[in-house]
Amino acid sequence: MKYTPGLPEKNSNVSHEHPLREFFVLVIGATAIFLAVMLLLGLFVDYAVRYIDPELESVLFSGFATEDESAPTEQEQKLQALLGRLSKCVDVGYPVVVSVTESDQMNAFAMPGGNIVVLSAMLDKVETENGLAFVLAHELAHFKNRDHLRGMGRSIVLLAISVLITGANSDISALLTPVYSAEAAQYSQDRESDADAIALGALNCHYGHVGGASEFFELITAPDELSDWSLTHYFSSHPEAQSRIDDLHALAERRGYATE
Amino acid sequence: MFDLYVLLGLIVIGFVVGQFLERRHYRSIEQRERELIGLATTTSKRPIGVIPNPSRVELVEGACVISVDYFKRFVAGLRQFFGGNIRSYETLVDRARREAVLRLKATCSDADQVINLRIETSSITKGRRNQIGSIEVHAYATAIYF
Repeated sequence: MKYTPGLPEKNSNVSHEHPLREFFVLVIGATAIFLAVMLLLGLFVDYAVRYIDPELESVLFSGFATEDESAPTEQEQKLQALLGRLSKCVDVGYPVVVSVTESDQMNAFAMPGGNIVVLSAMLDKVETENGLAFVLAHELAHFKNRDHLRGMGRSIVLLAISVLITGANSDISALLTPVYSAEAAQYSQDRESDADAIALGALNCHYGHVGGASEFFELITAPDELSDWSLTHYFSSHPEAQSRIDDLHALAERRGYATE
Repeated sequence: MFDLYVLLGLIVIGFVVGQFLERRHYRSIEQRERELIGLATTTSKRPIGVIPNPSRVELVEGACVISVDYFKRFVAGLRQFFGGNIRSYETLVDRARREAVLRLKATCSDADQVINLRIETSSITKGRRNQIGSIEVHAYATAIYF
């Protein structure tokens, strides 16, 4: 037996395909499957929400009711009265309670169980009643559309899925979370625009004009120095304030609402 | 959002640097394999051919540890979902095996034959999570001097 040295002509132990090919095939495949699953589950949440009537909602989310049992302040009584008048224009179907929470952020939330929480900075900065009425009508519109339940249902679904994925590989969830956020943000922005439109209608119905509707958005239109490159718009749950103002003006014009 | 930029940054760095180092390593491996081709190396338990009494017989070994880069690990992580060949790790083990054998041969380049070559692979990180994996390949054999 003779030993003949030689080197193999071709290395068959490694694949000679470009590594980026495998990368893109896998990333696109994983993203597509994930998006499809999230869309399906989102539709399922929308479907399930239709079967949660206000009575069931107040039972399910009684824990979210404000603990504060003290008598409503003067401010809260005023807001509640305004809300009562607006409710004639936006029919939610069950009583909604408004409360004020101390905070230096300007915002208001629609909480499950029929609570609207207004942060105190909102009351300090928004000067006109019409401006406040638009904010309240916007939150009422969320109740009418059951957006607060949809948002919560989607968060629960996402949490369940991300726990499952994180259990397997945290890199994958780091990749897919932004994908989901973009999808969820788009959905949320659509819901916000819808609520804006209903609120505008409510303002016109109550006051006979829509003056002051965009006051809140004008207050929060601060220049966003990051928005050029950070893609934040695609991941934000709310449309940009300026585009909401533009949409409101366009909608008011289309529907022929008086502006003052 | 910030997490995504960090992740993409790590993947790009892993890919660019990892590919550069891998190409350079392969060039070096191929060049040294050609230089050491004259040293007969087999897995046979007995020397090849008729040989006189050996003057010296010794145990030789070579080992090397190679780390996976972030890009390879990420692709392998995606592979865990879908199954199939983890192609991104193939070059890793291939390089490590060949490097270990080359180092073994370099320790006994004056020998006449290297027989009974064995290669063992072990994982350094043992699949611990959030750690860059790396493998050790250990090659050992018997060098014979006539």
